Amino acid sequence: MDKTTHFGFKDVATDDKQKLVRGVFDSVSNKYDLMNDVLSFGAHRLWKSYTTKSSNVKAGDTVLDIAGGTGDLAIEFKKITGKNGQVVLSDINSSMLEEGRKNLINNGIFGVDFVQSNAELLPFKSDSFDCVSIAFGLRNVTNKDLALKEMFRVLKPGGSLLILEFSKTDSELLKKLYDFYSFNVMPKLGELIADDEDSYRYLAESIRKHPDQEKLKDMVLDAGFSFCEYHNLSGGIVALHKCIK
Amino acid sequence: MRLLFLQQVVNYIITSSGLDIGTLNNKIIRFSLEDLPLDVDFVCKNNRVFVLSDAGTPADVDIKLKSTAFLSIFNGEDITELLRKDKIVIKGDVKTAQLLVDLLNKADIDLEEELSKYTGDIVANGVGKMTNKLKAISSDQSSAMAAIKGSLLKLFVAPSKSKRYKNQHI
Repeated sequence: MDKTTHFGFKDVATDDKQKLVRGVFDSVSNKYDLMNDVLSFGAHRLWKSYTTKSSNVKAGDTVLDIAGGTGDLAIEFKKITGKNGQVVLSDINSSMLEEGRKNLINNGIFGVDFVQSNAELLPFKSDSFDCVSIAFGLRNVTNKDLALKEMFRVLKPGGSLLILEFSKTDSELLKKLYDFYSFNVMPKLGELIADDEDSYRYLAESIRKHPDQEKLKDMVLDAGFSFCEYHNLSGGIVALHKCIK
Repeated sequence: MRLLFLQQVVNYIITSSGLDIGTLNNKIIRFSLEDLPLDVDFVCKNNRVFVLSDAGTPADVDIKLKSTAFLSIFNGEDITELLRKDKIVIKGDVKTAQLLVDLLNKADIDLEEELSKYTGDIVANGVGKMTNKLKAISSDQSSAMAAIKGSLLKLFVAPSKSKRYKNQHI
């Protein structure tokens, strides 16, 4: 593995990235949902709703939500899978998991399992989930190829992986507006609301360093998936990759 | 959104009918409407159907429907006549086709009622009338390939019509 990797626009030692990302999410966890609503003007709820509706998950299924954070997807998945299904909310960060636990209780959702784990080394048996999802989490993973292979491993044959992540827009006008918003407005809002400008600067930078739609599709297929197709949302600012094992 | 809608309707029918589509696992059915932007792959995996715009691999069964035939169906034209005129073309693996026939013959739901949840009553009523007609036709057909044409039309053509044409006064 490479000795250095990116953390936003900075090059850092590969071994340090996980700790740095953890620091970001420890810092913003208690304002995470509020910031998502403010920064995306509420659109993140539509993107996530599209993701769960695209999942093809049905009652009784087993679902793993990686980097599940405050549990937005887990809540919807649990409503679909019902009491006979199993939903596991996994996150590497304990403070995000704690926020997720509170959020699920506040939404009256019970029976979701919480597991603190690294996406690169999932503590689950092979072929055990009908669906794996990761929303706005993959770009924070140090070794994405390894994480994708792990997701492939834990999925049942024919199971589906859903990757919802910031991506690249083809529109030059939208790109300029988005760049201005990302690098000038987002960090300031982060400072105002979450008292953390740096974390939201990292957010903007990490989005630019994340593989574009086609590159991510290639990575998914390289991990062993049979099919992968992506759908651009909000002009490509966000993309949903639907992958089938 | 169109693919999502199709995927939801097809899987709803499968679940509502209690169908076990395990025998079709790993099969790909390509459905295309000539002259119209509907060209999708139905990938059968894990006892459900995933709808993709292009699975990237050759399909096991390929169904092509001319746009004029598509419109004719909704105007009540006899489906067997369209088949005879080759306005509907099916190519591919006969074994997969027969598996499909066996499964689709087990499907028995009121599509009008189910679709109304997605499209509203007026569109659903039109689709329901058409599918009932198709179903009656396919139950009379002795040929497996002919039956599959009718059955798949019931599943795949009707849902897209409800969204794309509902305001175009065709």
